[in-house]
Amino acid sequence: MRGRGYGLLAAALLCWAAGSYAGAAYRLPFPPPSEMRSPLNGAGGDMLALALGARRVFADLWFVRLLQYYGKKEARVSSDQPGHETHEHRVDEHGRTHCDHGANYGKGEYPSFLPMARHILEVDPSFTAAGLYGAASLAFNMERPAEAEELLRYGLKYSPKEWKYLTVLAAIGYSNAQNPAAVAEAIKPLLSEPDCPVMLKQLAAFLNKRAGNLAAAAAIYADILATSRDEFYVRNAERELRKLAWGPGGRP
Amino acid sequence: MRKYAALVASVALNSFLEGARSRFFTMFAVFAFTAVYASVLAGVMAVDQEERLLGDFGLLLTELTTLAYLLFNASSSLLREAETKTIYLVFSRPVPRSAYLAGKLAGALLTGAMMLLLMGAVHLSLLHFRGFGLPPFYGWALAGIFLKLCVIVSFAFFVSLFSTSAVSTLVISAIMWTLGHFAAEARFLAEEAAGFQGALLGLLINLVPNLQLFNARDAAGAAAALPAAALLPAAAWTLACYFAGLWLLSRKEF
Repeated sequence: MRGRGYGLLAAALLCWAAGSYAGAAYRLPFPPPSEMRSPLNGAGGDMLALALGARRVFADLWFVRLLQYYGKKEARVSSDQPGHETHEHRVDEHGRTHCDHGANYGKGEYPSFLPMARHILEVDPSFTAAGLYGAASLAFNMERPAEAEELLRYGLKYSPKEWKYLTVLAAIGYSNAQNPAAVAEAIKPLLSEPDCPVMLKQLAAFLNKRAGNLAAAAAIYADILATSRDEFYVRNAERELRKLAWGPGGRP
Repeated sequence: MRKYAALVASVALNSFLEGARSRFFTMFAVFAFTAVYASVLAGVMAVDQEERLLGDFGLLLTELTTLAYLLFNASSSLLREAETKTIYLVFSRPVPRSAYLAGKLAGALLTGAMMLLLMGAVHLSLLHFRGFGLPPFYGWALAGIFLKLCVIVSFAFFVSLFSTSAVSTLVISAIMWTLGHFAAEARFLAEEAAGFQGALLGLLINLVPNLQLFNARDAAGAAAALPAAALLPAAAWTLACYFAGLWLLSRKEF
């Protein structure tokens, strides 16, 4: 009986060693903990993310925090219409007021934007939509292309074959060269991707409209209307489609 | 051999039915309500990333709810049977201790598999209700969760055979669960640390099962969500806990 007991113990130790040996070669597809630089008071959440094996969920939460941070008003200017504080409305020759939104919408300081956006990728580098959203906001809304490039290059470190990051990098290059038509053309392949941020679609539509490609702009606005759940962008797309249907003469 | 298998199946079925009748449906209802609540929040907060958020939260809740129930079951099952003297009735018949422990473990894992499938169905119907399809990694994620549960539940059975209370078994198993998710990071630190410290840490890591191997739920964006090589460590660690538990059980007087 005693011999059988020791046999069981030896079998347990052997099995455990075999398991450890078989799993030793495995390497995580995530950045090491030394790369996690938690902005704000997020270290506790990061510990929980690692302890529960829940990096994806905590990256989602960081993304929501980023959306809330970026959605927070920085402008001190007041407006009669909520949501239109940051820009002037244009009045055309027929006396109609136009709100383009695209030119200045989303501009602001948002000093923690890059650390927060980068942190999402530090927690879960496979969250491409967050990387694209962060980079596009930095480059095209806040006009901080250097920070956008930094974010994209970090994303590419763990997803080197991610063509969407490369596409946005190219678009930033065209944007630096003051070539809006080339920017619109560069981000065109991204627009049909399911994880393309609606903000990039809005930018593409705006640039196409400015370049006179009204049909392309209308197609993008129609796509936003059909696919996005963001009420702001949906309402804006409806408005823009109505304006495009009226045409330059103002008649439907 | 067939008689032995029938004995294991009989204990497993009994253990499964006992588990399913007790708190199974309460846990299920709690999960379902939480998932519905989370979906509403996700819709408001994540806007265009609602599908991802809803999928991730649902899978995490599925895993944690199943884990909580199975750990509770594994930590109290053998102790309860000893307290109620049921175990004496079982061992007064020609039931080998190995068949009894295997049946108990199989019953608990069967309950876990059932919970995973039911909660997965609730989760998928919720996704469908919100207008989303089946996430591409879903099957892998559930399989990975089940492998993690195999390792940790067998570990909890082993601990319950030497711990003095169900609470201490729960705490020790939960700590092992946490350490298991840190194993890959700890290995990285051991590789970075030089000399004796690194060697010692590298040795100690082998005492902890690397649960990140099975964490397909988290590595869904990676190319290989659940490596095929994960099956061998899962089987080895589960068997190791079973043999160690059997060693302790064989030393007990009933």
